[in-house]
Amino acid sequence: MAHVDEVTPERFVPSWVLQTTFESTEEALKALQVYKKKDAEKVIVRFKAVGNAPIMKDNFFKITASNRFQAVIQFLRKQLGYKATEPLHTYINLAFSPAPDDLVSNLFKSFATDNHLIVNYSTTAAWG
Amino acid sequence: MSTYGTTRHHHPPVAPNFSNKDRVTDYHTTLFRRLIWDGTVPLEIRVDPKELPANSDRGLECYFLQAPRVTYMPLLMPEIRRFFMDLVFDETATKDLKDEEWWFETAEGRLVKWHWPIGLIYDNHIISTSLKPSSSRAASAATPLRLTLHLASPPSDKLLLSPSAEACKQAFMGQLKEADFIRWGNTKRMTGLRQQDQDGMWEGIKEHNFDDYWRVASKVTPTTTPSHTGPPPSSTSMHTSPPSADPGGPSERDGAYNVRSVPVRIYLPDGPVIQELVPPVLADGTPHTLSSYLTANLPLLFPPQPPAPPPSRTNPNPRPPSVSHLAYALIQGIITPHESEMAWLGACLAGADGWVNVCIGLHNT
Repeated sequence: MAHVDEVTPERFVPSWVLQTTFESTEEALKALQVYKKKDAEKVIVRFKAVGNAPIMKDNFFKITASNRFQAVIQFLRKQLGYKATEPLHTYINLAFSPAPDDLVSNLFKSFATDNHLIVNYSTTAAWG
Repeated sequence: MSTYGTTRHHHPPVAPNFSNKDRVTDYHTTLFRRLIWDGTVPLEIRVDPKELPANSDRGLECYFLQAPRVTYMPLLMPEIRRFFMDLVFDETATKDLKDEEWWFETAEGRLVKWHWPIGLIYDNHIISTSLKPSSSRAASAATPLRLTLHLASPPSDKLLLSPSAEACKQAFMGQLKEADFIRWGNTKRMTGLRQQDQDGMWEGIKEHNFDDYWRVASKVTPTTTPSHTGPPPSSTSMHTSPPSADPGGPSERDGAYNVRSVPVRIYLPDGPVIQELVPPVLADGTPHTLSSYLTANLPLLFPPQPPAPPPSRTNPNPRPPSVSHLAYALIQGIITPHESEMAWLGACLAGADGWVNVCIGLHNT
């Protein structure tokens, strides 16, 4: 009986069940604010035409990393003078189409080659 | 080394409906995949009262359904449309309605994306709710996700995709290929599938048919077959040898611990999404766990565990000091144990699009 109090409840209760305090909630909310802060950093995106798509003279661009991929698509359309109704398919590394709400920073971290995010564009579906 | 018990014991496959000539999936892997596949979430759909057409039957304005986690909103549209058109809206009013203009938002005003799996939409709702004081979210986990259906003026610039099933299929295929690229550095496994098989995966989602989906998906998803009992022991540096040098045969080459990286995304309440390269095995040869992954990416929410103090005469078996747990990780609606290995999560708890979605909620008083 004398040793019973050595067995603390933490041993049996999963840690996430433990009560949290008001202070720890405040701390967690502050942490979320830190992670929510937008990355002002810019990354280099390199556009490469595929098939019959028009070639761009300057194909290196610095784009804010916190943008969504949709912003890259819109930027590319503007550069090419393409209307929203004209077909334009975009791919990373000649392999897949990212979701339009993927963050450029995330794509860059996972798929950049030689510090460039390579975006292929085509007027017809290629690796769709 | 602590290991995840369910992945280590080799059982013969006993699931009677599941067979694959090329690859045999062990019992526990199939079990977890089946549990994920069969997971459903409750939805409550109500037309925005301001947009309800004249002469609608207000007594029936709400539609409840239990939707599979792996499905997508565009695939639920026919059922939702049928209910409102047949039972709620007046016949003359329905003539003017164009269902390609319909869109959804949560009761809290968050847009429902067409290309997110329903389970991900639901878990994101749960973690957003975790930010609110508990008094205002009584029993939120047990209640349906309340969605408002709008009948016109979709905010297309924010929804990003059209509500068609075809656009959703393309997005789904894109996610599968991105996951393939993350795992192997190329998309050969996905592009190597016949068109008929690729379409079959989508049909499996549409029909919510586990066997149809996994018949194909097992060709692109890593195996957990523990032919060398998972990760290499930490005392050796086997992780430095290239996977191709492993003498384990084809199943070894496709093993969960041999991928370059596990397709994982972290979702924080109300954003953002964090995607990093997640190796299955750490530099010291130990498996990358959910704990090490969360501490690496969100150290403010998941602080590193300090080591135990040295033993003393009064305390010969010291335990490490407890760290405060500010947040929890939700995968497929499950509060996931931190010792889960990332490679195992990638093979067993990924969604149908190949991605493990880790949603972070806050513990609240």
